[in-house]
Amino acid sequence: MQILKHKTHIDFIGKRRPAVFISTVLNLAILVGLFTVGFNFGVDFAGGTVVELKFNHSIRADEVRSRAEAAGLNDVSVQGIGAASENSFLLRLGGTTQLTAENAQAVLKALEGMGNTSNFVTDVENGLINFRSTEKLVPETVRKAVAAVGLGVKEVRDLGPAQGGGQDYQIVASGMADRITQGLSRGLAQPDFATQRIDYVGPQVGKELRNKGIAALLYSMVAILLYVAFRFDLKFAPGAVLAMIHDVIMVAGYYLVTRREFNLTSIAALLTVTGYSINDTIVIYDRIREEMAKFRGKPLPDIINIAVNETLSRTILTSGVTALSLVGLLIFGVGEIWDFAMAMLVGIIVGTYSSVYIASPLTIWIDQRAAARDRAAKSGGLSRVN
Amino acid sequence: MDRSWWRNVIIILVVTLGSVWYLVPTYYSFFVLPRSQRNDIKVLGDRLPGWARYPNHRLNLGLDLQGGIHMVLQVDTKTALQKRVERRGVQIANYLKDKGLGPVSIDANREKLQLTLVAKDVATMDGIQKEVKGFDDFSEVSRDGTKVVLSLKDSQVARFKEESVDQAMLVIRRRIDKWGVAEVDVRKLGTDSIQISLPGRQDPEQAKELIGTTAQLEFRMVDEANPYFKQLLSQSPPPPDSGIVLTQSEGFDQLQGPEREPLLAYATKKTPAGREVLLECVASKTKKGACESYRTYLLDRTVPLTGESLSGADASVGQLGEFEVNLSFDTQGGLEFGKLTEDNVGKRMAIVLDENVNSAPRINEKIPNGRARITLGRGGNKSYAELRQDADNLALVLKAGALPAPVTVGEIRQVGASLGDELIRKGSLAAVVGLAMVVVFMAVYYSIAGLIADAALLLNGLLILAGLALFNATLTLPGIAGFVLTLGIAVDANVLINERIREELRNGRSPRAAVDQGYDRAFWTIFDAHVTTLIAGVILLLTGTGPVRGFATSLIIGILASLFTSIVVTRTITTYLVHGRNAQTVSV
Repeated sequence: MQILKHKTHIDFIGKRRPAVFISTVLNLAILVGLFTVGFNFGVDFAGGTVVELKFNHSIRADEVRSRAEAAGLNDVSVQGIGAASENSFLLRLGGTTQLTAENAQAVLKALEGMGNTSNFVTDVENGLINFRSTEKLVPETVRKAVAAVGLGVKEVRDLGPAQGGGQDYQIVASGMADRITQGLSRGLAQPDFATQRIDYVGPQVGKELRNKGIAALLYSMVAILLYVAFRFDLKFAPGAVLAMIHDVIMVAGYYLVTRREFNLTSIAALLTVTGYSINDTIVIYDRIREEMAKFRGKPLPDIINIAVNETLSRTILTSGVTALSLVGLLIFGVGEIWDFAMAMLVGIIVGTYSSVYIASPLTIWIDQRAAARDRAAKSGGLSRVN
Repeated sequence: MDRSWWRNVIIILVVTLGSVWYLVPTYYSFFVLPRSQRNDIKVLGDRLPGWARYPNHRLNLGLDLQGGIHMVLQVDTKTALQKRVERRGVQIANYLKDKGLGPVSIDANREKLQLTLVAKDVATMDGIQKEVKGFDDFSEVSRDGTKVVLSLKDSQVARFKEESVDQAMLVIRRRIDKWGVAEVDVRKLGTDSIQISLPGRQDPEQAKELIGTTAQLEFRMVDEANPYFKQLLSQSPPPPDSGIVLTQSEGFDQLQGPEREPLLAYATKKTPAGREVLLECVASKTKKGACESYRTYLLDRTVPLTGESLSGADASVGQLGEFEVNLSFDTQGGLEFGKLTEDNVGKRMAIVLDENVNSAPRINEKIPNGRARITLGRGGNKSYAELRQDADNLALVLKAGALPAPVTVGEIRQVGASLGDELIRKGSLAAVVGLAMVVVFMAVYYSIAGLIADAALLLNGLLILAGLALFNATLTLPGIAGFVLTLGIAVDANVLINERIREELRNGRSPRAAVDQGYDRAFWTIFDAHVTTLIAGVILLLTGTGPVRGFATSLIIGILASLFTSIVVTRTITTYLVHGRNAQTVSV
C-alpha cells in the first residue's frame, strides 16, 4: 500500500513568505494573549480547591450549583465530568482556606473579647492567626469563640510559653473543601454524595515549579542549538530552535484560545511537543544535508524543495501514525487527558508544518545573507562592514 | 548469516529476557498480591520467586491511579522566626544585665524581625552597642539616643528557615518510621515545604494525625545496672534467625538487633515493673537517614522532665576541641533539671524523642543554672565530620522537641480508590486502542516489514516499562498518555527506514541492496534525530524539578529503547528474511 504513488514536485518553499507571515502574526497574537489574558491556570498553578463529588442519585449541574449557592458558596464553579449517568461533578473554588481579610477582623474582635490577648499576626494566605494571651487558654474555648463569628477552625494550637511571659497560640482555619462538602450536605440527614477526590493547593507551590520548568526548557534549547551547529551547520541551528519555540507557542495558544485548564499535564504536553518538533526538523535537515552533497551549487531553496518532497510520504505517515496513537485517548480520555491528546494533536500538526515553513525559511534567509555578504566582500571596496 | 548477525541476536535475546525479568516484581505487585499489600515492599520481597529478587525496582502506581493521599506540608518558618527573634531578645537583655549595662528593655517587632533595645541611661549606650556586636546573627539598623534597633540578618533568616524545615522533616520521618507504614515517601519541596505521599490511604484526617504537628521530647533516666536483658537472653533465647544479640558497646547491657519490630517485641516480653524498653536507631553509615540496627534501653517509666521546658539547643565546639550541644531551659525547667541532675550524678539520662532514644549521655555533675551541656567527646573511630554531624543532629532533635516550627497543610490531593480503578480502566483502554490502531495500520501499510516494525514496537514498549521499573518510576494517568505517544513517535524510525527501502527499490536496486542501503542511509537520520532529543532530555533531567524530571526520565528511556529496537532489532529480523532466506523479493 502506498499513499503517494509518484514522486511529488510541490513547490513548498515558494509559498514560504505568506506562511511565515501568518505564523508570525499568530505567534505574536498568542504571545500578546498570554501576557494580557493569560492561561486559565488550574489548581496546580493558581492555587485553590477542587473537589470531585459523585452523587448517589441523578442530578444536574445547575442543581448542584444552586445548592452550593444556597449554602453561601457563590464563587464556586460546577462542571460535570464523564457521562451524565455517572453523576460526577468537579467543584472549583478559589482560595484554599476559609480565612479572608474580612472575617479575620471579626475573629480578632472575638479574640480580644477573651481577655488579655495581644500580638496578633494574621496570615491570610496560609489561613493562620497567631496571638498571645497572658493567661493559659483552653484551645476548645478559643475554637468555639472563633467558630461563633463564622470561621471554620481546623485546629487551635498551643505554641508554648512566650519569652517575657504569656502563652502563644495559633488558630488554623479550615480548608475550603470542608466548606464545600458541609455546605452541600446542609439540611440533609446524611450526604447524598461521596467525595472522590480533593485537590487543595496553596498559592506558592506552583510558582517555583513553573519558573524552573521554563528555565529547563531554555537550557535545553541552547544545547540543541549547539548540537545542530556541530552536526549540521551553524546556519541550520537557529531554524531548529525557532521551529521549536514556534511549536511551543502554538500549543500554548491551544490552551489560551480554548480556555482549557493549564496544569502540570499541560506542561508535559508542551515538553513532548518540543521533542516531536526537534525530531521532525532534524529528519528534514538530514535530507537537506544529503541533497546538498548530491547537488552541489544548486540554490538552497531548490534543494529544500527536493528534500521536503522526497520525505513527504514519510512526513505524512509519521504524523498520521502518531495522531493515530492519540485516538484512544481522544475517545476514552476525560478532563486533562483529553486536553493532553488534543494539545498533542495540535503539536503534531504545527511540528510538521514548522519544519518546512519555519526552520527552512530561516535557514534560507541566513544562507542568503551570508552569500550576499560574500559577494559584497568579493566586489571589494564597497563592502559593508558589519 | 555472519558473526555480527549472531551477536545481534544474542543481544536482543538478553535485552528482552532482561526486561521481562525486571518486570516480574511489577507483575507480582499488580496481579499476584492482594490490593492491600500492593505497596508493601517487604511482602513483595517474600512472595517473589527466588530468581527475581529486586522488589525495589518496580513500577509504582501514582496516587491518581490507586487512590491515596498526597500532602504538601508547609513549615511555618515565619512563626518560628518570630519566636526565635523574641528569644534572642531575652538572651541579649540577660547578657547585657550580666555585663552591668542593664536594665535594658527589649521590644520585638515580629513583622520586620527586629529588636528595639531601650537603655535607661545614655552613658551605657556605647558599651551596649559594642557588646551587641557580639550577637552576630543581628545587624544594627539605627541608633538614636537610648534606642538601638537590631535586625535579624538575611543570611540568618535563610539558614534558620532551612533548619526549621530539616527539623520538621526529621520529626515527620521519625513519626512515620514509628508507625511502620510501608511505602511512604517524604521529601523536601522547595524552600519551606515537605511533600508526603501515602498511597492507599483514604482519610486525610487520619493522615494528619499520623504525621502529627509537634514532637514529644522527654528526659528519662536509664537503668544501667538492671540485669534484665542478660536474664531475658539466657531464660528465653530469641529465635536464632532474628539476629538479636547482647552488646556492651556503650558500657552497659543492651540488646541489639537488625529489625525494629521483632527486637521491640522480644525485649518487652517481661519488662520489669516501673521500667520501659525503648529503642535507639544506630544510624547507617552508607544510607542517609536509615538505621543499620537498633539497640534497647531500659528506662524508668516516670518522666521527670519534658521538652516543654527546653528553650533552645545549639551545637558548638568546646575548648578541648570536642563537640557539645548546649541546652537552655526556662526558669521552672532549669530548677527541675538542676534537681534531676543533682539526684542522678553518674547515671545516664536518655533523651527520648517520639518514643525513640536519641542518645543517653552521662550526667557528670549537678547542672544548676538551667544551662546544660551534652559532651559528645572526641569519639574514637569517628571522623571530625561525623562528630560534627552527630552534634548538629542532636541539637536539631532537641530543638524539634523544644520549639516546633508549626506545620500547616499546604496541599492535599486525595483520590478515592474507586476513582483510581476507573482511571486505570479508561487509561489502559485508551492505550490499547491507540496502540492497536498503530499496529494494524503498520501491518496493512507495509505488510511484512510492517509486522517487523510492530514486533519492534511491542519490544519497545516492554523496554520502556522495564526501564521505568528499573528507576522505580511512578506510573500516573498522564504517564500512560505519554507512554502511548512515545510509542507512536517511535514508529517514525521504522517509517523512515521503510520509505528509504521503497525509494531504493524504485531506483532499481535489488531487494538485498535496497534493504542494506535503506538501513545505512536511514541510520544517520535516526541517530541525529534521537541524539538531539536525547540532549534535550538530559538537560531537562539535570535542570528541571519534580514532574519535569519525571518526564525527562521517561523521554530518555523511550529514546534509548526506540534507538535499539529500530536500528538493531528490525535490521536483524529483516536481514534474516532477506539474506538468510535468500529472498528474491522484499515486502515493504
